Amino acid sequence: MSNKDPVRIGVLFSETGVTSTIGNSQLQGTLLAIDEVNEAGGIDGRMLVPVRYDAQSSPPRYAQLAERLIVQDKVDVIFGCYMSSSRKAVIPIIERWNKILFYPTLYEGFEFSNNIIYTGAAPNQNSVQLAEFMTSNFGARVYLIGSDYIYPYESNRIMSELILQREGGEKLAERYVALDADEKDFKTIIEDIRAMRPDFIFSTVVGDSTASLYRAYADAGFDPKTMPICSLTTSEAEVAEMGSGVATGHFTSSPYFQTIDSDINRRCLERFRHRIGGDCVPNLCWEAAYFQLHIFAEAHRDAGSGDIQALMPALLGREFDAPQGRVKIDANNHHTWLHPRIGRVDENGQFTIIRAATRAVQPDPYLVTHSLADWATKLSIPEL
Amino acid sequence: MGGTTPALLKDLRSLRVAVLHPDDADGRQLTQQLQRIGCQIQAFWPPPPALPDNIDVVFLAVRPDSIDKGWSWLAGDDLPILIAVVTYENPTIVETVLHVRAKAVLASPVRSFGLLSALVVARQVNGELKSQARKLRKLEAKILGARQISDAKAILMRTRQISETVAYDLIREQAMSKRVTTEEIAAAIINANEIMSLGL
Repeated sequence: MSNKDPVRIGVLFSETGVTSTIGNSQLQGTLLAIDEVNEAGGIDGRMLVPVRYDAQSSPPRYAQLAERLIVQDKVDVIFGCYMSSSRKAVIPIIERWNKILFYPTLYEGFEFSNNIIYTGAAPNQNSVQLAEFMTSNFGARVYLIGSDYIYPYESNRIMSELILQREGGEKLAERYVALDADEKDFKTIIEDIRAMRPDFIFSTVVGDSTASLYRAYADAGFDPKTMPICSLTTSEAEVAEMGSGVATGHFTSSPYFQTIDSDINRRCLERFRHRIGGDCVPNLCWEAAYFQLHIFAEAHRDAGSGDIQALMPALLGREFDAPQGRVKIDANNHHTWLHPRIGRVDENGQFTIIRAATRAVQPDPYLVTHSLADWATKLSIPEL
Repeated sequence: MGGTTPALLKDLRSLRVAVLHPDDADGRQLTQQLQRIGCQIQAFWPPPPALPDNIDVVFLAVRPDSIDKGWSWLAGDDLPILIAVVTYENPTIVETVLHVRAKAVLASPVRSFGLLSALVVARQVNGELKSQARKLRKLEAKILGARQISDAKAILMRTRQISETVAYDLIREQAMSKRVTTEEIAAAIINANEIMSLGL
Protein backbone atom coordinates (compact mmCIF):
# COMPACT_ATOMS: atom_id res chain seq x y z
CA MET A 1 0.00 0.00 0.00
CA SER A 2 1.43 3.33 -0.96
CA ASN A 3 1.25 6.53 1.00
CA LYS A 4 -1.29 8.94 -0.49
CA ASP A 5 -1.11 11.52 2.28
CA PRO A 6 -0.64 15.04 1.01
CA VAL A 7 2.79 16.64 1.36
CA ARG A 8 2.49 19.89 3.29
CA ILE A 9 5.04 22.52 2.41
CA GLY A 10 5.63 25.96 3.92
CA VAL A 11 5.35 29.04 1.69
CA LEU A 12 6.61 32.21 3.35
CA PHE A 13 6.83 35.39 1.30
CA SER A 14 5.91 39.04 1.86
CA GLU A 15 2.52 39.56 0.24
CA THR A 16 2.33 43.01 1.83
CA GLY A 17 4.88 45.67 2.85
CA VAL A 18 7.80 47.34 1.05
CA THR A 19 9.04 44.21 -0.74
CA SER A 20 5.61 42.81 -1.62
CA THR A 21 5.95 43.30 -5.38
CA ILE A 22 8.69 40.70 -5.60
CA GLY A 23 7.27 38.72 -2.65
CA ASN A 24 3.99 38.28 -4.48
CA SER A 25 5.72 37.21 -7.66
CA GLN A 26 7.76 34.63 -5.75
CA LEU A 27 4.54 33.35 -4.23
CA GLN A 28 2.93 33.11 -7.68
CA GLY A 29 5.94 31.31 -9.14
CA THR A 30 5.78 28.83 -6.27
CA LEU A 31 2.03 28.27 -6.64
CA LEU A 32 2.32 27.83 -10.41
CA ALA A 33 4.90 25.08 -9.95
CA ILE A 34 2.80 23.44 -7.21
CA ASP A 35 -0.17 23.35 -9.60
CA GLU A 36 1.97 21.82 -12.32
CA VAL A 37 3.32 19.12 -9.99
CA ASN A 38 -0.19 18.30 -8.74
CA GLU A 39 -1.75 18.27 -12.21
CA ALA A 40 0.90 15.78 -13.26
CA GLY A 41 -0.11 13.46 -10.40
CA GLY A 42 1.74 14.97 -7.47
CA ILE A 43 4.71 13.20 -5.92
CA ASP A 44 3.82 9.60 -6.73
CA GLY A 45 0.17 10.39 -6.09
CA ARG A 46 0.77 12.59 -3.06
CA MET A 47 -0.56 16.12 -3.62
CA LEU A 48 1.50 19.12 -2.61
CA VAL A 49 -0.42 21.32 -0.18
CA PRO A 50 1.04 24.77 0.44
CA VAL A 51 0.68 26.24 3.92
CA ARG A 52 1.07 29.91 3.18
CA TYR A 53 1.66 32.92 5.39
CA ASP A 54 2.31 36.59 4.68
CA ALA A 55 5.49 37.75 6.41
CA GLN A 56 4.62 41.41 5.71
CA SER A 57 8.22 42.40 4.85
CA SER A 58 9.10 42.09 8.55
CA PRO A 59 12.07 39.94 9.68
CA PRO A 60 10.63 39.17 13.18
CA ARG A 61 7.40 38.10 11.47
CA TYR A 62 9.41 35.79 9.17
CA ALA A 63 10.98 34.16 12.24
CA GLN A 64 7.63 33.69 14.01
CA LEU A 65 5.91 32.26 10.98
CA ALA A 66 8.81 29.94 10.12
CA GLU A 67 8.54 28.49 13.63
CA ARG A 68 4.79 28.15 13.28
CA LEU A 69 5.16 26.35 9.93
CA ILE A 70 7.55 23.85 11.48
CA VAL A 71 6.01 23.35 14.92
CA GLN A 72 2.27 23.68 14.25
CA ASP A 73 1.95 22.91 10.59
CA LYS A 74 4.64 20.22 10.63
CA VAL A 75 6.28 21.09 7.34
CA ASP A 76 9.73 19.74 6.42
CA VAL A 77 10.56 22.43 3.89
CA ILE A 78 9.90 26.15 3.57
CA PHE A 79 10.01 28.15 0.35
CA GLY A 80 10.57 31.79 1.10
CA CYS A 81 12.40 34.98 2.07
CA TYR A 82 13.55 37.92 -0.03
CA MET A 83 15.78 40.44 1.73
CA SER A 84 18.85 39.08 3.53
CA SER A 85 17.43 40.29 6.84
CA SER A 86 14.46 37.95 6.35
CA ARG A 87 16.72 35.00 5.54
CA LYS A 88 18.96 35.69 8.53
CA ALA A 89 15.85 35.78 10.76
CA VAL A 90 14.74 32.35 9.53
CA ILE A 91 18.16 30.59 9.62
CA PRO A 92 18.36 29.94 13.40
CA ILE A 93 14.89 28.39 13.34
CA ILE A 94 15.42 26.26 10.26
CA GLU A 95 18.75 25.03 11.69
CA ARG A 96 17.42 24.36 15.17
CA TRP A 97 14.64 22.14 13.80
CA ASN A 98 16.87 20.76 11.05
CA LYS A 99 14.49 21.58 8.17
CA ILE A 100 15.22 22.94 4.69
CA LEU A 101 14.74 26.49 3.40
CA PHE A 102 14.62 27.13 -0.36
CA TYR A 103 15.68 30.74 -0.95
CA PRO A 104 14.83 32.04 -4.46
CA THR A 105 16.60 35.40 -4.31
CA LEU A 106 19.85 36.92 -5.50
CA TYR A 107 21.90 38.02 -2.49
CA GLU A 108 25.39 39.18 -1.47
CA GLY A 109 27.00 35.76 -0.86
CA PHE A 110 29.26 34.75 2.06
CA GLU A 111 26.86 32.29 3.49
CA PHE A 112 26.42 28.56 3.62
CA SER A 113 24.02 26.56 5.70
CA ASN A 114 23.48 22.82 5.61
CA ASN A 115 19.78 23.66 5.77
CA ILE A 116 19.47 26.08 2.86
CA ILE A 117 19.28 25.75 -0.92
CA TYR A 118 20.05 29.08 -2.62
CA THR A 119 18.56 29.45 -6.11
CA GLY A 120 19.19 33.15 -6.82
CA ALA A 121 22.42 34.60 -8.22
CA ALA A 122 25.60 35.03 -6.18
CA PRO A 123 27.70 38.11 -7.09
CA ASN A 124 29.96 36.10 -9.41
CA GLN A 125 26.84 35.37 -11.49
CA ASN A 126 25.59 38.92 -11.99
CA SER A 127 27.89 41.72 -10.68
CA VAL A 128 31.05 40.80 -12.59
CA GLN A 129 29.19 40.46 -15.88
CA LEU A 130 27.43 43.79 -15.35
CA ALA A 131 30.65 45.65 -14.46
CA GLU A 132 32.40 44.17 -17.48
CA PHE A 133 29.61 45.20 -19.83
CA MET A 134 29.06 48.70 -18.43
CA THR A 135 32.72 49.69 -18.21
CA SER A 136 33.38 48.35 -21.73
CA ASN A 137 30.52 50.32 -23.23
CA PHE A 138 30.09 53.47 -21.16
CA GLY A 139 33.28 54.10 -19.15
CA ALA A 140 34.28 53.49 -15.56
CA ARG A 141 33.25 56.62 -13.66
CA VAL A 142 30.36 55.31 -11.63
CA TYR A 143 27.78 56.75 -9.24
CA LEU A 144 26.46 54.22 -6.70
CA ILE A 145 22.95 54.44 -5.22
CA GLY A 146 21.45 51.79 -2.98
CA SER A 147 18.86 51.03 -0.36
CA ASP A 148 20.30 51.24 3.12
CA TYR A 149 21.01 47.60 4.00
CA ILE A 150 23.57 44.84 3.60
CA TYR A 151 22.95 43.73 0.00
CA PRO A 152 23.67 47.17 -1.49
CA TYR A 153 26.73 47.65 0.76
CA GLU A 154 28.31 44.42 -0.43
CA SER A 155 27.23 44.87 -4.06
CA ASN A 156 28.76 48.34 -4.04
CA ARG A 157 32.00 47.04 -2.55
CA ILE A 158 32.26 44.56 -5.41
CA MET A 159 31.32 47.12 -8.07
CA SER A 160 33.85 49.64 -6.66
CA GLU A 161 36.65 47.08 -6.82
CA LEU A 162 35.72 46.09 -10.35
CA ILE A 163 35.58 49.60 -11.83
CA LEU A 164 38.93 50.45 -10.25
CA GLN A 165 40.44 47.66 -12.38
CA ARG A 166 39.73 49.89 -15.42
CA GLU A 167 41.98 52.72 -16.43
CA GLY A 168 40.32 55.95 -15.32
CA GLY A 169 37.93 53.99 -13.10
CA GLU A 170 36.46 56.18 -10.39
CA LYS A 171 33.76 55.91 -7.75
CA LEU A 172 32.14 59.35 -7.77
CA ALA A 173 29.78 58.77 -4.86
CA GLU A 174 28.13 56.08 -2.80
CA ARG A 175 24.71 57.09 -1.54
CA TYR A 176 22.07 55.22 0.44
CA VAL A 177 18.35 55.86 0.80
CA ALA A 178 15.71 54.38 3.13
CA LEU A 179 13.79 51.33 1.90
CA ASP A 180 10.65 53.43 1.64
CA ALA A 181 12.33 56.36 -0.14
CA ASP A 182 10.15 58.33 -2.51
CA GLU A 183 10.88 60.63 -5.41
CA LYS A 184 11.75 63.67 -3.27
CA ASP A 185 14.34 61.62 -1.35
CA PHE A 186 16.20 61.18 -4.64
CA LYS A 187 16.10 64.90 -5.45
CA THR A 188 19.48 65.87 -3.98
CA ILE A 189 21.06 62.73 -5.43
CA ILE A 190 19.73 63.58 -8.89
CA GLU A 191 21.19 67.11 -8.61
CA ASP A 192 24.49 65.61 -7.52
CA ILE A 193 24.44 63.30 -10.55
CA ARG A 194 23.74 66.27 -12.80
CA ALA A 195 26.85 67.99 -11.46
CA MET A 196 29.12 64.95 -11.57
CA ARG A 197 28.11 63.46 -14.93
CA PRO A 198 29.06 59.82 -14.22
CA ASP A 199 29.52 57.36 -17.11
CA PHE A 200 26.78 55.25 -15.56
CA ILE A 201 24.74 54.85 -12.37
CA PHE A 202 24.74 51.57 -10.47
CA SER A 203 21.50 51.12 -8.56
CA THR A 204 20.99 48.61 -5.77
CA VAL A 205 17.76 50.29 -4.73
CA VAL A 206 15.18 47.57 -4.03
CA GLY A 207 11.46 47.44 -3.36
CA ASP A 208 8.93 50.12 -4.18
CA SER A 209 11.51 52.92 -4.12
CA THR A 210 13.06 51.54 -7.32
CA ALA A 211 10.29 53.15 -9.35
CA SER A 212 10.90 56.49 -7.58
CA LEU A 213 14.56 56.50 -8.58
CA TYR A 214 13.90 55.82 -12.26
CA ARG A 215 11.07 58.39 -12.30
CA ALA A 216 13.31 60.99 -10.69
CA TYR A 217 15.94 60.22 -13.34
CA ALA A 218 13.40 60.57 -16.15
CA ASP A 219 12.00 63.82 -14.70
CA ALA A 220 15.53 65.24 -14.63
CA GLY A 221 15.70 64.73 -18.40
CA PHE A 222 18.81 62.53 -18.31
CA ASP A 223 19.58 60.32 -21.31
CA PRO A 224 20.04 56.54 -20.83
CA LYS A 225 22.09 56.45 -24.06
CA THR A 226 24.92 58.36 -22.43
CA MET A 227 24.40 57.84 -18.68
CA PRO A 228 22.26 54.74 -18.08
CA ILE A 229 21.23 53.20 -14.79
CA CYS A 230 22.29 49.58 -14.37
CA SER A 231 21.03 47.23 -11.72
CA LEU A 232 20.88 43.68 -10.41
CA THR A 233 17.40 44.03 -8.97
CA THR A 234 15.36 46.12 -11.39
CA SER A 235 13.27 43.45 -13.08
CA GLU A 236 10.16 43.43 -15.27
CA ALA A 237 8.12 43.78 -12.07
CA GLU A 238 9.76 47.03 -10.97
CA VAL A 239 9.72 48.36 -14.53
CA ALA A 240 5.96 47.73 -14.75
CA GLU A 241 5.42 49.91 -11.67
CA MET A 242 7.23 52.90 -13.15
CA GLY A 243 4.81 53.82 -15.88
CA SER A 244 5.24 53.64 -19.61
CA GLY A 245 8.72 54.23 -20.99
CA VAL A 246 10.31 55.41 -17.72
CA ALA A 247 12.93 52.66 -17.62
CA THR A 248 13.51 52.36 -21.36
CA GLY A 249 17.19 52.13 -22.25
CA HIS A 250 18.42 51.14 -18.77
CA PHE A 251 20.26 47.86 -18.06
CA THR A 252 19.84 44.92 -15.71
CA SER A 253 22.01 41.85 -15.13
CA SER A 254 19.96 38.76 -14.36
CA PRO A 255 19.83 35.03 -15.12
CA TYR A 256 16.20 35.37 -16.22
CA PHE A 257 14.20 37.70 -18.41
CA GLN A 258 10.71 36.99 -19.79
CA THR A 259 12.11 37.48 -23.29
CA ILE A 260 14.36 34.39 -23.14
CA ASP A 261 13.90 32.65 -26.45
CA SER A 262 13.13 29.05 -25.51
CA ASP A 263 10.13 26.76 -25.66
CA ILE A 264 10.38 25.94 -21.98
CA ASN A 265 10.22 29.63 -21.06
CA ARG A 266 7.42 30.45 -23.48
CA ARG A 267 5.31 27.50 -22.32
CA CYS A 268 5.92 28.38 -18.69
CA LEU A 269 4.78 32.00 -19.22
CA GLU A 270 1.79 30.74 -21.19
CA ARG A 271 0.69 28.45 -18.35
CA PHE A 272 1.20 31.28 -15.89
CA ARG A 273 -1.09 33.61 -17.86
CA HIS A 274 -3.82 30.97 -18.09
CA ARG A 275 -3.68 30.16 -14.41
CA ILE A 276 -6.69 31.42 -12.47
CA GLY A 277 -6.01 33.81 -9.62
CA GLY A 278 -2.84 35.59 -8.71
CA ASP A 279 -1.54 38.60 -10.48
CA CYS A 280 2.11 39.52 -10.81
CA VAL A 281 4.78 40.36 -13.33
CA PRO A 282 7.15 37.39 -13.88
CA ASN A 283 10.77 38.25 -13.06
CA LEU A 284 14.04 36.63 -11.96
CA CYS A 285 12.77 35.86 -8.44
CA TRP A 286 9.53 34.47 -9.81
CA GLU A 287 11.52 32.12 -12.03
CA ALA A 288 13.81 31.00 -9.19
CA ALA A 289 10.76 30.36 -6.99
CA TYR A 290 9.23 28.38 -9.85
CA PHE A 291 12.15 26.12 -10.70
CA GLN A 292 13.22 25.46 -7.10
CA LEU A 293 9.77 24.02 -6.34
CA HIS A 294 10.13 21.62 -9.27
CA ILE A 295 13.62 20.63 -8.15
CA PHE A 296 12.22 19.96 -4.68
CA ALA A 297 9.39 17.82 -6.08
CA GLU A 298 11.74 15.74 -8.24
CA ALA A 299 14.17 15.22 -5.36
CA HIS A 300 11.33 14.32 -3.00
CA ARG A 301 10.10 11.75 -5.51
CA ASP A 302 13.55 10.14 -5.63
CA ALA A 303 14.16 10.39 -1.89
CA GLY A 304 10.68 9.20 -0.91
CA SER A 305 10.69 11.64 1.96
CA GLY A 306 10.84 15.33 2.85
CA ASP A 307 13.15 14.66 5.75
CA ILE A 308 16.46 16.46 5.37
CA GLN A 309 18.55 13.31 5.80
CA ALA A 310 16.91 11.73 2.76
CA LEU A 311 16.02 14.83 0.76
CA MET A 312 19.29 16.80 0.88
CA PRO A 313 21.41 14.13 -0.86
CA ALA A 314 18.72 13.95 -3.56
CA LEU A 315 18.83 17.75 -4.01
CA LEU A 316 22.59 18.19 -4.23
CA GLY A 317 23.89 17.96 -7.78
CA ARG A 318 20.36 17.82 -9.18
CA GLU A 319 19.79 19.45 -12.57
CA PHE A 320 16.62 20.90 -14.01
CA ASP A 321 15.52 22.50 -17.29
CA ALA A 322 14.37 25.86 -15.95
CA PRO A 323 12.96 28.70 -18.06
CA GLN A 324 16.44 30.33 -18.02
CA GLY A 325 18.15 27.11 -19.19
CA ARG A 326 19.52 24.01 -17.48
CA VAL A 327 20.38 24.78 -13.85
CA LYS A 328 22.09 22.65 -11.22
CA ILE A 329 22.28 22.68 -7.42
CA ASP A 330 25.97 22.81 -6.54
CA ALA A 331 26.73 19.93 -4.18
CA ASN A 332 29.57 21.78 -2.50
CA ASN A 333 28.01 25.13 -1.63
CA HIS A 334 24.21 24.60 -2.06
CA HIS A 335 23.96 27.54 -4.46
CA THR A 336 22.84 27.14 -8.10
CA TRP A 337 24.60 27.07 -11.48
CA LEU A 338 22.84 29.84 -13.42
CA HIS A 339 22.92 31.61 -16.80
CA PRO A 340 24.03 35.27 -16.47
CA ARG A 341 22.51 37.70 -18.97
CA ILE A 342 22.41 41.44 -19.58
CA GLY A 343 19.13 42.99 -20.70
CA ARG A 344 18.17 46.49 -21.85
CA VAL A 345 14.65 47.71 -21.16
CA ASP A 346 12.63 48.22 -24.34
CA GLU A 347 9.65 50.54 -24.87
CA ASN A 348 7.21 47.82 -23.69
CA GLY A 349 8.88 47.28 -20.33
CA GLN A 350 10.49 44.03 -21.49
CA PHE A 351 14.20 43.31 -21.71
CA THR A 352 16.14 42.96 -24.93
CA ILE A 353 18.84 40.42 -24.10
CA ILE A 354 22.08 41.87 -25.39
CA ARG A 355 24.61 39.59 -23.66
CA ALA A 356 24.30 35.98 -22.49
CA ALA A 357 26.56 33.35 -20.97
CA THR A 358 27.23 30.46 -23.30
CA ARG A 359 26.90 27.97 -20.45
CA ALA A 360 25.80 27.86 -16.81
CA VAL A 361 28.15 29.65 -14.41
CA GLN A 362 29.17 27.90 -11.22
CA PRO A 363 28.19 29.78 -8.05
CA ASP A 364 31.11 31.01 -5.94
CA PRO A 365 29.50 32.69 -2.92
CA TYR A 366 32.78 33.15 -1.04
CA LEU A 367 34.66 34.98 -3.79
CA VAL A 368 36.11 38.17 -2.22
CA THR A 369 38.02 39.60 -5.18
CA HIS A 370 36.26 39.51 -8.51
CA SER A 371 38.24 40.18 -11.63
CA LEU A 372 37.28 41.85 -14.89
CA ALA A 373 40.26 40.21 -16.56
CA ASP A 374 38.72 36.76 -16.11
CA TRP A 375 37.57 36.05 -19.66
CA ALA A 376 35.54 33.08 -18.45
CA THR A 377 33.03 35.54 -17.00
CA LYS A 378 32.68 37.43 -20.25
CA LEU A 379 29.31 37.12 -21.91
CA SER A 380 28.74 36.72 -25.61
CA ILE A 381 26.33 38.53 -27.88
CA PRO A 382 23.34 36.26 -28.46
CA GLU A 383 22.54 35.40 -32.04
CA LEU A 384 19.41 37.07 -33.32
CA MET B 1 30.84 50.32 2.94
CA GLY B 2 33.00 52.93 1.38
CA GLY B 3 36.51 51.65 2.00
CA THR B 4 38.49 49.24 -0.08
CA THR B 5 38.52 45.56 0.78
CA PRO B 6 41.19 44.71 3.39
CA ALA B 7 44.12 42.59 2.24
CA LEU B 8 43.31 40.03 4.94
CA LEU B 9 40.14 39.25 3.01
CA LYS B 10 41.63 39.54 -0.45
CA ASP B 11 44.30 36.90 0.04
CA LEU B 12 42.08 34.21 1.60
CA ARG B 13 42.37 32.11 -1.55
CA SER B 14 46.15 31.94 -1.39
CA LEU B 15 46.20 30.79 2.25
CA ARG B 16 47.71 27.41 2.95
CA VAL B 17 45.78 25.83 5.77
CA ALA B 18 46.51 22.63 7.71
CA VAL B 19 43.51 21.05 9.41
CA LEU B 20 44.71 18.86 12.25
CA HIS B 21 41.43 17.28 13.17
CA PRO B 22 39.91 13.79 13.10
CA ASP B 23 37.85 12.91 10.02
CA ASP B 24 34.49 13.31 11.79
CA ALA B 25 31.47 15.60 11.35
CA ASP B 26 33.37 18.62 12.72
CA GLY B 27 36.42 17.83 10.63
CA ARG B 28 34.36 17.58 7.48
CA GLN B 29 32.38 20.74 8.25
CA LEU B 30 35.70 22.52 8.77
CA THR B 31 37.40 21.32 5.60
CA GLN B 32 34.31 21.82 3.43
CA GLN B 33 33.78 25.37 4.65
CA LEU B 34 37.48 26.19 4.12
CA GLN B 35 37.11 24.85 0.59
CA ARG B 36 34.07 27.03 0.00
CA ILE B 37 36.04 30.02 1.21
CA GLY B 38 38.70 28.90 -1.26
CA CYS B 39 41.72 28.20 0.97
CA GLN B 40 44.27 25.58 -0.02
CA ILE B 41 43.90 22.88 2.60
CA GLN B 42 45.54 19.71 3.82
CA ALA B 43 44.01 17.62 6.61
CA PHE B 44 45.79 15.25 9.03
CA TRP B 45 44.95 13.20 12.09
CA PRO B 46 46.75 12.44 14.24
CA PRO B 47 48.91 15.55 13.79
CA PRO B 48 52.10 14.76 11.84
CA PRO B 49 55.45 15.13 13.63
CA ALA B 50 56.31 18.02 11.32
CA LEU B 51 54.02 20.38 9.45
CA PRO B 52 54.14 20.60 5.64
CA ASP B 53 56.16 23.56 4.36
CA ASN B 54 54.75 27.07 4.16
CA ILE B 55 51.61 26.53 6.19
CA ASP B 56 49.99 29.86 7.07
CA VAL B 57 47.22 28.71 9.36
CA VAL B 58 46.64 25.59 11.47
CA PHE B 59 43.27 24.48 12.77
CA LEU B 60 44.04 22.19 15.70
CA ALA B 61 41.56 19.96 17.50
CA VAL B 62 42.33 20.43 21.18
CA ARG B 63 40.87 17.31 22.75
CA PRO B 64 41.34 15.47 26.01
CA ASP B 65 43.09 12.61 24.19
CA SER B 66 45.47 14.81 22.23
CA ILE B 67 46.77 17.33 24.74
CA ASP B 68 50.33 17.37 25.91
CA LYS B 69 51.80 15.45 23.02
CA GLY B 70 54.63 17.98 22.80
CA TRP B 71 54.46 18.44 19.04
CA SER B 72 57.80 19.78 17.93
CA TRP B 73 56.35 22.30 15.51
CA LEU B 74 54.65 24.02 18.44
CA ALA B 75 58.05 24.91 19.87
CA GLY B 76 59.32 26.71 16.78
CA ASP B 77 59.76 30.45 16.69
CA ASP B 78 57.92 31.04 13.44
CA LEU B 79 54.73 29.26 14.42
CA PRO B 80 51.86 29.36 11.91
CA ILE B 81 48.67 31.06 13.08
CA LEU B 82 46.85 28.57 15.25
CA ILE B 83 43.09 28.31 15.67
CA ALA B 84 41.91 25.86 18.32
CA VAL B 85 38.82 23.70 17.80
CA VAL B 86 37.43 22.73 21.19
CA THR B 87 34.80 20.24 22.26
CA TYR B 88 35.23 20.91 25.99
CA GLU B 89 35.64 24.14 27.88
CA ASN B 90 37.06 22.87 31.17
CA PRO B 91 40.25 24.39 32.65
CA THR B 92 42.43 21.56 31.30
CA ILE B 93 41.37 22.21 27.72
CA VAL B 94 41.44 26.00 28.07
CA GLU B 95 44.95 25.77 29.51
CA THR B 96 46.01 23.78 26.45
CA VAL B 97 44.43 26.37 24.18
CA LEU B 98 46.58 28.99 25.89
CA HIS B 99 49.63 26.75 25.82
CA VAL B 100 49.46 26.30 22.05
CA ARG B 101 49.11 30.09 21.74
CA ALA B 102 45.83 29.93 19.81
CA LYS B 103 44.79 33.22 18.19
CA ALA B 104 41.12 32.23 17.92
CA VAL B 105 38.84 29.44 19.09
CA LEU B 106 36.08 27.55 17.29
CA ALA B 107 33.58 25.65 19.40
CA SER B 108 32.27 22.23 18.47
CA PRO B 109 29.87 21.48 16.88
CA VAL B 110 31.60 23.47 14.16
CA ARG B 111 29.24 25.58 12.05
CA SER B 112 30.07 27.01 8.68
CA PHE B 113 29.02 30.40 9.99
CA GLY B 114 31.74 32.10 12.04
CA LEU B 115 34.71 30.33 10.53
CA LEU B 116 35.57 33.10 8.07
CA SER B 117 35.49 35.74 10.82
CA ALA B 118 37.63 33.61 13.17
CA LEU B 119 40.14 33.06 10.37
CA VAL B 120 40.44 36.73 9.48
CA VAL B 121 40.55 37.97 13.08
CA ALA B 122 43.20 35.40 14.02
CA ARG B 123 45.35 36.59 11.12
CA GLN B 124 44.90 40.21 12.13
CA VAL B 125 45.83 39.47 15.76
CA ASN B 126 48.84 37.48 14.63
CA GLY B 127 49.96 40.24 12.26
CA GLU B 128 49.70 42.84 15.00
CA LEU B 129 51.66 40.67 17.44
CA LYS B 130 54.36 40.09 14.85
CA SER B 131 54.74 43.76 14.00
CA GLN B 132 54.83 44.64 17.68
CA ALA B 133 57.52 42.03 18.29
CA ARG B 134 59.52 43.52 15.41
CA LYS B 135 59.17 47.01 16.84
CA LEU B 136 60.16 45.74 20.27
CA ARG B 137 63.33 44.11 18.92
CA LYS B 138 64.27 47.33 17.15
CA LEU B 139 63.71 49.40 20.28
CA GLU B 140 65.69 46.96 22.43
CA ALA B 141 68.60 47.15 20.01
CA LYS B 142 68.38 50.93 20.03
CA ILE B 143 68.38 51.15 23.84
CA LEU B 144 71.29 48.75 24.10
CA GLY B 145 73.20 50.80 21.50
CA ALA B 146 72.53 54.04 23.34
CA ARG B 147 73.75 52.52 26.59
CA GLN B 148 76.90 51.21 24.93
CA ILE B 149 77.67 54.59 23.41
CA SER B 150 77.24 56.29 26.73
CA ASP B 151 79.49 53.65 28.45
CA ALA B 152 82.11 54.03 25.72
CA LYS B 153 82.00 57.81 26.05
CA ALA B 154 82.55 57.47 29.82
CA ILE B 155 85.56 55.22 29.25
CA LEU B 156 87.11 57.66 26.78
CA MET B 157 86.42 60.66 29.00
CA ARG B 158 88.05 58.92 31.94
CA THR B 159 91.09 57.44 30.18
CA ARG B 160 91.84 60.42 27.94
CA GLN B 161 90.61 63.28 30.09
CA ILE B 162 88.39 64.69 27.35
CA SER B 163 84.90 66.19 27.29
CA GLU B 164 81.78 64.22 26.38
CA THR B 165 81.42 66.02 23.01
CA VAL B 166 84.99 65.22 22.01
CA ALA B 167 84.54 61.62 23.17
CA TYR B 168 81.48 61.24 20.97
CA ASP B 169 83.23 62.87 17.98
CA LEU B 170 86.03 60.34 18.38
CA ILE B 171 83.61 57.42 18.28
CA ARG B 172 81.83 58.85 15.24
CA GLU B 173 85.07 59.48 13.32
CA GLN B 174 86.16 55.89 13.98
CA ALA B 175 82.81 54.57 12.83
CA MET B 176 82.99 56.62 9.63
CA SER B 177 86.53 55.65 8.75
CA LYS B 178 85.88 51.94 9.42
CA ARG B 179 82.41 52.07 7.82
CA VAL B 180 80.60 50.55 10.77
CA THR B 181 77.96 51.89 13.15
CA THR B 182 78.76 54.03 16.18
CA GLU B 183 77.21 51.25 18.31
CA GLU B 184 79.76 48.76 17.02
CA ILE B 185 82.67 51.10 17.77
CA ALA B 186 81.21 51.66 21.24
CA ALA B 187 80.99 47.91 21.81
CA ALA B 188 84.62 47.49 20.68
CA ILE B 189 85.79 50.22 23.09
CA ILE B 190 83.92 48.60 25.99
CA ASN B 191 85.38 45.23 25.03
CA ALA B 192 88.90 46.53 24.80
CA ASN B 193 88.52 48.34 28.08
CA GLU B 194 87.38 45.15 29.80
CA ILE B 195 90.38 43.22 28.41
CA MET B 196 92.82 45.96 29.43
CA SER B 197 91.34 46.11 32.93
CA LEU B 198 91.88 42.37 33.40
CA GLY B 199 95.57 42.66 34.13
CA LEU B 200 95.27 45.76 36.28
